[in-house]
Amino acid sequence: MTRHHPDSLTLMEYSAGNLSEPHALCIRLHLDKCSHCRSRVDTLDSLGAVMMEQQPKVSVSETMFDDILAKIDSVPALEQPTKAVPKISLLQKLLGEDINNLPWKRQLGDVSVLDITEKFPGQKEQVVLQKLVAGGKAPAHTHRGTETTVVLQGAFSDQKGVFNQWDFVVLTDQDEHKPVAVGCEDCITLSVLSAPVKLTGTFTRMLNPFIR
Amino acid sequence: MNKVTNINHAIVKERPVTTLDQKPARAEGRKDPWSQLLVKVGKDQDRQAYHSLFEHFAPQLKYYAMANGMASHAEELVQEVFVSIWRRACLYDWQKAAASTWIFTIARNQRIDMLRKMRRTSAEMPVETEDLWQIPGEDDNQPITSLHRLMSERRVRESLSQLPEDQITVIAKVYMEQKSHQMVADELNIPLGTVKSRVRLALSKLKVILQDQNV
Repeated sequence: MTRHHPDSLTLMEYSAGNLSEPHALCIRLHLDKCSHCRSRVDTLDSLGAVMMEQQPKVSVSETMFDDILAKIDSVPALEQPTKAVPKISLLQKLLGEDINNLPWKRQLGDVSVLDITEKFPGQKEQVVLQKLVAGGKAPAHTHRGTETTVVLQGAFSDQKGVFNQWDFVVLTDQDEHKPVAVGCEDCITLSVLSAPVKLTGTFTRMLNPFIR
Repeated sequence: MNKVTNINHAIVKERPVTTLDQKPARAEGRKDPWSQLLVKVGKDQDRQAYHSLFEHFAPQLKYYAMANGMASHAEELVQEVFVSIWRRACLYDWQKAAASTWIFTIARNQRIDMLRKMRRTSAEMPVETEDLWQIPGEDDNQPITSLHRLMSERRVRESLSQLPEDQITVIAKVYMEQKSHQMVADELNIPLGTVKSRVRLALSKLKVILQDQNV
């Protein structure tokens, strides 16, 4: 059971389809394991439908329905979707690998990172996976801009509490913390950094959101 | 206002939300004419039902596309959404979402997809829009009870009718014009905090905000 949830305004922007793909990914991963937030999103999706219903209507071209019929008739039944699609997890689809077998780049001490921004072409955000070895500590640090994080494996704790698998947390430049990986697994998180990080200064320092 | 709303109001009067049990929720689901039509499309490829859905939803969808700044692609979006409705109607389950909600999520995803194609760089993204934004009822893991979904649909309509105009305006801009809260604040020339508090007030009416939940 996750205890740290996305805030309602963020879920609303998700439901409206206004979030970037990396942010939507963080929400999606959390939703997959959090029935509470799923039901909040259901309500928000309904809100979207009701908003749409209450807005003005614009008539469509007279031939459109016939065009649509022609289109659906031209598609063979074979291409109809079926429900029985074997499911690989979203993370596996994204990473193409088990999360523990990735080409992690060791940073300072207990921290490793992997920048996966390139998986989201055309986005402004930086997307990184971070790993803190079991029992390991990250040095105290603050955040640049806003960092949205979802815990993918293990857990970490800081002065605000314990963040378990699938917990969702947003940190700003106001938050200084000193995370410690708790439990017997390495703690792996996915983070989206809203402010574009410029690689000036020390490359390593800038690249690693745990240590800035 | 249309039929759906009237039916919903009638049911709300009969029985307050908190005491609803499974039975009336199901009955309500059956009464939602659009969900019924959509089920017919899925089960029997009923073209008359499909046409009725088109008459009702196409003009809404076209406005949705236009409000989103997709004026030159508005008809294309409506068409794509309807082709998609036809193809996936067999997956639609009225117990999991009302037709209007289901169609809204398809339109939202179609818009995201079209924008994605327009700004496509040479590299492909490994995850698809529908991996990130799901259509209700199509994700099989831990389905939410029909009771909950139907209640939320009705509750939203009911609560929305009681919200002050300034709250509705803000929500409409987020949903219909894809504006961030910051953009809404800039446009209405009010502080970001005011926008957020309006949305929070509205969402607490809709019980999206955590306060009443045991988490």
